[in-house]
Amino acid sequence: MKLLVKTNRIYLAFSLIIYLLTALAFYHIVRLLIYDDVESRLQIERRDFETYVRIHNSWTSSPYFVENKIDIVPVSQHTRQLTQTRGVFTDTLIRNRYDDELIPFRQLTFYVPIQGTIHRVSIRKSLIQTYRLIEAVTFTMATFLGLLLLGTFWFQGKLSGRLWHPFYETLSRIRHFNLNSVTPLRLSKPEINEFNELNEVLQKMADKMQHDYQSLKEFTENASHEMQTPLALINAKVEQLIQSEQLTETQTNWIGTIYEASRRIVRLNQGLLLLAKIENNQFQDAQLINLTQLFQEKLQDMDDVLSFKKLTVHYHQLTPFDVKLPLTLADIFVTNLVNNAIKHNHSGGSIKLDSSTDYLSLSNTGGHLVSDPNRLFERFKKEATGTDSIGLGLSIVKQICDSYGLKVTYKETNGLHQFYITRLLLTDSNN
Amino acid sequence: MKVLVVEDEKGLAESITDYMVKEGYICETATTFQEADEKIYLYTYDCVIVDLTLPDGNGFQLIQTLKRLVATTGIIIISARNALEDKLKGLEIGSDDYLTKPFHLSELNARVKSLLRRRQFGGHTEIRFEEIVVVPHTRKVYVNDQLTTLSRKEYDLLLYFLSNIDVALTKASIAEHLWGDNIDSADSFDMVYSHIKNLRRKLIEKGAADYVQSIYGIGYKFSQP
Repeated sequence: MKLLVKTNRIYLAFSLIIYLLTALAFYHIVRLLIYDDVESRLQIERRDFETYVRIHNSWTSSPYFVENKIDIVPVSQHTRQLTQTRGVFTDTLIRNRYDDELIPFRQLTFYVPIQGTIHRVSIRKSLIQTYRLIEAVTFTMATFLGLLLLGTFWFQGKLSGRLWHPFYETLSRIRHFNLNSVTPLRLSKPEINEFNELNEVLQKMADKMQHDYQSLKEFTENASHEMQTPLALINAKVEQLIQSEQLTETQTNWIGTIYEASRRIVRLNQGLLLLAKIENNQFQDAQLINLTQLFQEKLQDMDDVLSFKKLTVHYHQLTPFDVKLPLTLADIFVTNLVNNAIKHNHSGGSIKLDSSTDYLSLSNTGGHLVSDPNRLFERFKKEATGTDSIGLGLSIVKQICDSYGLKVTYKETNGLHQFYITRLLLTDSNN
Repeated sequence: MKVLVVEDEKGLAESITDYMVKEGYICETATTFQEADEKIYLYTYDCVIVDLTLPDGNGFQLIQTLKRLVATTGIIIISARNALEDKLKGLEIGSDDYLTKPFHLSELNARVKSLLRRRQFGGHTEIRFEEIVVVPHTRKVYVNDQLTTLSRKEYDLLLYFLSNIDVALTKASIAEHLWGDNIDSADSFDMVYSHIKNLRRKLIEKGAADYVQSIYGIGYKFSQP
């Protein structure tokens, strides 16, 4: 949920509660005031009535032609206490004589002795006017408060939209910032101090990151250079040594072993550097590459090796399987898998290439896998038989897949080893 | 033939020079950018072998200068950087070949020879060793004036041998020459053996002497028996 939506919702909920409470309080206060007014008038009328009764000792309702104004009923109970009571206020509904409507009244009931008999007297006042007043007040209030609420809500939305604009601007710039590119992160200088500080901090961090990344890249490059040069030197010197005529057979053999070992270190170093480079995303300009075609070409290139090992290649459905990869890596990817399929094959075996727009599968015949198939893609994991290999080929394949939204899986069924390459779903790769 | 080796690692420069001198070239060495820059202004070389990373400058700059001065000089880049961009850039600004360190001296030698052949005679030259004649232009091989049909790899192999006569060639260097750097298979040495066997058979069939000698634990050597 967006920050603004969230704050607006909280704001809306809070103001609605306040609004309802205010409306309720307002209603009650107005009602209380009106009741207070009506009741005090009823009290005055009671006094008037009592004065009248005391003077005349009788009652006639003649001056009171207003409907339901007064009601006097003699009560049989001869209780003195009743006359002492202050009177009771009640709400009552009385049917209108003319239009058969129920009209709310406020009624004061008290007891008065007239001519020796206790009478229960109820004086009433119609509340119809006051109810109208409450309605009008409530309606006006509801309308204006509602308008105010909507107004502030709208204003708040606009205002925070504007206030938070630099923040969203920063966010989008960071999102588009690429550590790999040469262009540094450029953030604006908003007026608001907090955002300004945020931008400064982010800017500093991004610069540092870019700098570190750059030095890491340089380190990789330099390490490559620094290690390859002495290795080149060793190789060159050994090669020169091989040329000398005076060597005994044992010495030649030793030199041969040294030479092999140094070649292995070279390959190992190159493999590890390649892995580091892929991990650091140092390969740029990925382009759309038809992997199927690349596999086909590579298998044709290896035709020499294939015929030497008496391997047959079967091409099944060859629908182009396009992936986005840097050309160098695509080549390494294909070479490693093809080499793997040849190396772990047996004489007279076969290799099968099959692809569609969504997958590519390369399978080869071969001996039963001794090691754990789940650890096949780990570094330096190799089958005991292939001591010649450095054990990085498949980890490089895996690393390329991981870095470029592909997925490679391995499966063995009845001596058929299959590597299955698919594209990761977009949602997967975003995570 | 004059060759200039620009390489800051003295030991490596020495090895290359030794190898080149043995092959009959006049070879000079420069270990810094400054020195190399001076030399290419002062003298003319048939071929320059340049390392890209020099302590006081960039090999690319040297190549650009060279191209401006003497356009016919052959240029081979040797670099520890295996980056595709470097290779492309090198070829773009006029170098003829790119070798990634570490390389086999025999490979470098073969490349230099092939480059010089192309530069000097436009490829229209024969390579002659005793009764064997190779015409690179048409990729034809004659033994005692009889055409010998060789497969593509056998031809490459013969040419590699002829570029490195009297030199012990390791199996690894032969395999890499024939199948490229990525050949990482235990079978490659067996394949080298099988190709050598076939080449030998074809040459002897046409009446050539058996020039291929195997060196135990190392590889092979092409020389007078």
